[in-house]
This record gives sequence, C-alpha cells and structure tokens, in this order.
Amino acid sequence: MNRKHIALMLLAGCVFVAPKLEAQIRHVEMRVEGMT
Amino acid sequence: MKQHLQRQSGVANVDVSLLDGKVDVTPKKDGQIEPAQLLKATYDSGVSVAELDMTASGKVVKDSSGNLVLQVSPNQSFTVAPNEISHGLEPLVDSSTLITVRGQLYKKSAGKQKKSDTAVPLRLLIFEMKKE
Repeated sequence: MNRKHIALMLLAGCVFVAPKLEAQIRHVEMRVEGMT
Repeated sequence: MKQHLQRQSGVANVDVSLLDGKVDVTPKKDGQIEPAQLLKATYDSGVSVAELDMTASGKVVKDSSGNLVLQVSPNQSFTVAPNEISHGLEPLVDSSTLITVRGQLYKKSAGKQKKSDTAVPLRLLIFEMKKE
C-alpha cells in the first residue's frame, strides 16, 4: 500500500467520522424528600 | 441512593446535597440517560422524588397524535406539555434546528403518593428554550 492509498483512506475516514449531532440530555436535577 | 443512581446506564456523576434535598445527575458525554429509570432508582432507594427537571438538546417533531415531541435520539423522545413556550416550537417542527430546553419532566402530585406515579408517561413542561 503506497502513501497515496493511505492518504485516501485517512480522508475517507474523516468524511465518515462527521461531527456527531449533540442531541442529548445534558443535566438532570431532582428535588427529593425523605433523604437522611 | 447515590450508589443506586450511579449504577444507572449513562450516568457519569451524581451530586447529592442533603441540606436542600437536591440531586444533580450528570450524564456521560456519549451515554444515554433515562429519566424514568432515575425516578425508579430513587424510589427503590427509599427516597421520594418531588420534582425532576432536565436540560436536553434535540429536535422538535410531532407524534401521530399531533403532540409536540422533543426528539433527543432516535429511541428517546419526550412529549412536550403545552404552554406559552411550547407554542413557539411549532415553526421548528421537522426542521433540522437543534434546540436546548430546560424543563420539568416530573412533579409529585398533591395528596397521597401512589407508587405507580413513577410509571406515568413523563411530559416535558418547558421553562426555557435556546436555539443552537
């Protein structure tokens, strides 16, 4: 495998590992009763 | 209780404040946290949850009944309870706009607490909204 192939594979990897959509639960806060 | 919550999937850190009865749960960066499981785990540890608030990012969609839904991931979504802020979400339905909301997902009902309360579907009452 020559350098050109390696460079192409790296480029393809960057395309497929696109920035992930950061949709997620970021924080949960609970108010609780009866905690000792 | 802290150990119960810490064992839940997707949980990175749990902070408990005995003084004001507050529990802060921080999810793992790429983990999926399930609020209903947090409620159950808290009840299972013998502590009663009065309120559960969350901050989440997602897209706005509508379900088959026409209710607004915050879609956090393909397998996690929360039906939005109608209020003034939720009306402002209508134009964003099915758009690619990512929003971050802070809202209340659970509030203990007044009167005698039933164990089945934690099994009711959670609805998100939005307090604050920010477009990404």
